[in-house]
Amino acid sequence: MSEIVLETEGLTKYYGDSLAVDHLDLEIPRGCICGFVGRNGAGKTTAIKLMLGLLEPTAGSSRLLGCDSSALTPAIRQRIGYVTEGHRLFRWMSIAGLEKFQRAFFPKQWDDKFFTDMIEYFDLPKKKKIKHLSNGQRAQVSLALALAPNPELLIMDDPTLGLDAAIRRQFLEGMIGLIMREGRTVLFSSHILGDVERVSERIVVIDKGILRAYCSLEQFQEAVKKVIFTFADSVPNEVNIDGLLHCKRIEKQLELTLVGTDDEQIAEWAKSAGAENHTIVKMSLEDQFIEFTAPANQKRLFKWEER
Amino acid sequence: MPLWIQILPGSDEPIYVQVTEQISEAIARGQLASGDKLPAVRKLASELVINPNTVARAYSRLEQAGLVTTKTGSGTFVSDPKMRRSDAADINMLAERMDTLITRGLNLGMGEQDLIRLFESRLTKFSKKSNKRKEEK
Repeated sequence: MSEIVLETEGLTKYYGDSLAVDHLDLEIPRGCICGFVGRNGAGKTTAIKLMLGLLEPTAGSSRLLGCDSSALTPAIRQRIGYVTEGHRLFRWMSIAGLEKFQRAFFPKQWDDKFFTDMIEYFDLPKKKKIKHLSNGQRAQVSLALALAPNPELLIMDDPTLGLDAAIRRQFLEGMIGLIMREGRTVLFSSHILGDVERVSERIVVIDKGILRAYCSLEQFQEAVKKVIFTFADSVPNEVNIDGLLHCKRIEKQLELTLVGTDDEQIAEWAKSAGAENHTIVKMSLEDQFIEFTAPANQKRLFKWEER
Repeated sequence: MPLWIQILPGSDEPIYVQVTEQISEAIARGQLASGDKLPAVRKLASELVINPNTVARAYSRLEQAGLVTTKTGSGTFVSDPKMRRSDAADINMLAERMDTLITRGLNLGMGEQDLIRLFESRLTKFSKKSNKRKEEK
């Protein structure tokens, strides 16, 4: 396995009595785009702020590019890009002013031409003040500011929230463009599963502060499935099958949502339970995510073995 | 080469499957002929705005299916149909898929002749395109 550029170990955060992030253990290797998903309030923003050292953890630790998040040196910070939720930029500044301001933090690797080309591509006048830009334009400036220093590790907190399809696509293009350069890594949170599916190689799923899945996107898509079993007489009362998430009974049919159960196990169970037949239903990533994070009795971490 | 691949995120087919199937179909229809070069992985990933690994996975599936061959250093090419392997198991799987479609057709109230006509008319969609391509050459 390649070098780990983002690592958390038992990372935990309480706000008073409420637990926002619960013992998060993550290891993100260099060179991938990692989609970070979870429902509203799942703890994504808190987790990101902890990783960047903007919040102090209640317990546990995290490391970016091998450096503890609580003690990131300027030299390390220069290699990391961060896009905040809502693209908060100094409102009184012009685009050119922000460019100058931001460039000062990345003296070695700021790419003037890249920034200017991107702003031109977005058709934004550099003299314009941030406060006079629309939300979408502000997001575009924020994207250009994040990419211009050619960051080794780019962390974006829900960067496409509330943006139109065209600007969302520009963010995706920006991520793909960055990853094409050697050794760049991106972690981005999003609620738009279609975007996550498009660009991510790996996904992190958290729910109520707890890590629920961390694997390649393909493994997640293969792992979560819905199976409908049809019985001749009645549906069995006991359902005992590995990886059971949800169980629904509809007359003579039994609908199971399973995670990590392979097709042979399903066929075996169908036989032993006396099912007449069974169908494995294909699911979209969005449906898989909804089923996976829906309240269930058994909640387990799904971590596929690295092949 | 024109970009005919369309990505539908949120479909129940993973994106690498969508890419694999659309390229397979282009080969079957003759839009891509034996010896044609596929776009480089990174180029196609940029154009489609998808992860390069997804494209690489699609290409390796196509290679496993014998539809393309990768020559180190020069790229991925559509393979010679004569070199493609099809064993009894492949043909058997195809037959099973046809059974599903025939069942649907019969359930819709179609007769044997209707089904044969439908099959033939679909088949011409594939042969016409490939004929056209030959004429162009």
